[in-house]
Amino acid sequence: MEYLSTDKILVIDLNAAQVEEEELLESLVEEKIGGIGIAKYLYEKYENDDPIVIGTGLLTGTTYPASAAGGITAKSPVTGSVCHCPVIYKLGVEIKYSGFDYIVVKGRSDSPVYLWIHDGVADISDASDVWGKDVWESTDELRKFVGDDLLQTMLIGPAGENGSDYAQVCYNHWSSPDRFGFGKLFGAKNLKGLAFRGMGLIEVAEPEDYVERSLEILKQVKENSFLEKKGLGQILTALGEEGVSDWIDPVTHRHSADYFTPYASNTALFLDEDPGLLEESKKEEPGVLVSDIYALLGFKNVGLSVKDAGHALKACAKYGIDPFAVAQLSGKTTLEEIKDSFDSINGEITIPGSGLFTPWCPTGPIFNDFNLSGKDEIMAWWERRQAVSMIFGIQPMFSLMCPELTEENMLELASLGTDLELTQEILDAVIDDILG
Amino acid sequence: MGIKINALKCTNCMACEMVCSYHRDDGFAFLSACIVAYRAREKKDYFGVLLKEEDVLIVARPEGLEINKIGEEADPDKEADASAKPMLLREGCDFCEDMDDYGPMCVAFCPVDAITLD
Ligand code: SF4
Ligand code: SF4
Repeated sequence: MEYLSTDKILVIDLNAAQVEEEELLESLVEEKIGGIGIAKYLYEKYENDDPIVIGTGLLTGTTYPASAAGGITAKSPVTGSVCHCPVIYKLGVEIKYSGFDYIVVKGRSDSPVYLWIHDGVADISDASDVWGKDVWESTDELRKFVGDDLLQTMLIGPAGENGSDYAQVCYNHWSSPDRFGFGKLFGAKNLKGLAFRGMGLIEVAEPEDYVERSLEILKQVKENSFLEKKGLGQILTALGEEGVSDWIDPVTHRHSADYFTPYASNTALFLDEDPGLLEESKKEEPGVLVSDIYALLGFKNVGLSVKDAGHALKACAKYGIDPFAVAQLSGKTTLEEIKDSFDSINGEITIPGSGLFTPWCPTGPIFNDFNLSGKDEIMAWWERRQAVSMIFGIQPMFSLMCPELTEENMLELASLGTDLELTQEILDAVIDDILG
Repeated sequence: MGIKINALKCTNCMACEMVCSYHRDDGFAFLSACIVAYRAREKKDYFGVLLKEEDVLIVARPEGLEINKIGEEADPDKEADASAKPMLLREGCDFCEDMDDYGPMCVAFCPVDAITLD
């Protein structure tokens, strides 16, 4: 596969400590397009080895607006079935530019390992120096070891190592959309995680047309008045949770965006530092970056102060546990009790619809109404929108905000980018296959 | 003509970096960008934009603009970022003079209009 692709699938066998490469065939893209369309195909191909498939969308890391996302596809310890967790921040893009479109991790290692993937090369590395360490320490240590502060990581913390049901795979230092306990799956494989860095080049079949259309779409996107807003609080306000924005205001530092995503949906809370500080803080860990609106709301609802909620989110990110599950299931109401409860979190959280996609994303439109009405119509739209976002690699929260990102123009750009004729019929078939 | 960066408006999305590199590489990459969203201090939520012009490195920090002549020692307390070093080896901003239909790509593609033409 020559275009919008690295042309490579990495297959890592943890049992045999072996790394193999497969070519990404154009025929597979013609049939499954990309992202979770192909990840599901690879999952089924290697199903007997309980694989974890990490992949990126066909448009990930390009000039298509919000082309930030990758995905993790695996059997969830929480639901017992195959689920898809978005990869956000700048990590999805780094995966693609590190040289592989898809990474299949199968089997189980005898001893703790991490996968170091960079510039088209993959190594299974001894993780004994970071096993037992929390997500922040491990990320910092790997960055130091490699000598690159821009290393992007996908790691578990003690929760995953100890087999906690709601262990989360974290991205760099931060919590992720993982509500599926994928951290437990990593831990069961003796896999501390993956570290990515890449300086690759992605070829485009019709670069000029691709970029021109991207800019036209971006201009339409920018017409949206919601883009005057920023951050988590405004999303919650739009969803009817009026009080959260004012509540987090006193500790809000800045808002940042995932790769090329016009809405800045990540909010940094400063907990041990003046939130008005513009210079670089002298403190090593002044706060926490939050992308999980429902975890934040959950800690508010148990009665924590905003600072304690921030500290709870930070503690969850370090321990590598789903903060929403902690807020929902711990039954605790003080910060200290919450921190002490991590090893005993169990019970059920609701995974909506057919259980394939994470309720980290609100289960309906944000800021715009997309002309939808009625619960069933909204749920069907939401599942389809999640599937489409994760096929093409679009930041899944932003795609709930922005009607200008259409299936039609994603297909158009995918066709321009690859020189393949990718049609609505093909997309419909891929979505049907994913949704079952 | 000059490029003006409002680091407080910037959301660290890297769009400028991608399109700047694209205008030199004709493919998607980050390798050749002379404008970079610096993002290595993520635990401190400290980010801004670096721009290499012919003989100066402009660091658009949230607290203000800093202009360093290339070759001179930068303030050691204000080390720019892990991204700064490789920048020095790259070509400086040419205002995308070859991109007739667009003008400066970083200006056209910044989703929040944090980069403007002076
Ligand atoms: S004007 Fe062009 S060359 Fe200069 S920084 Fe912007 S994108 Fe790069
Ligand atoms: S494109 Fe704009 S918002 Fe994004 S990193 Fe560059 S200056 Fe910042």
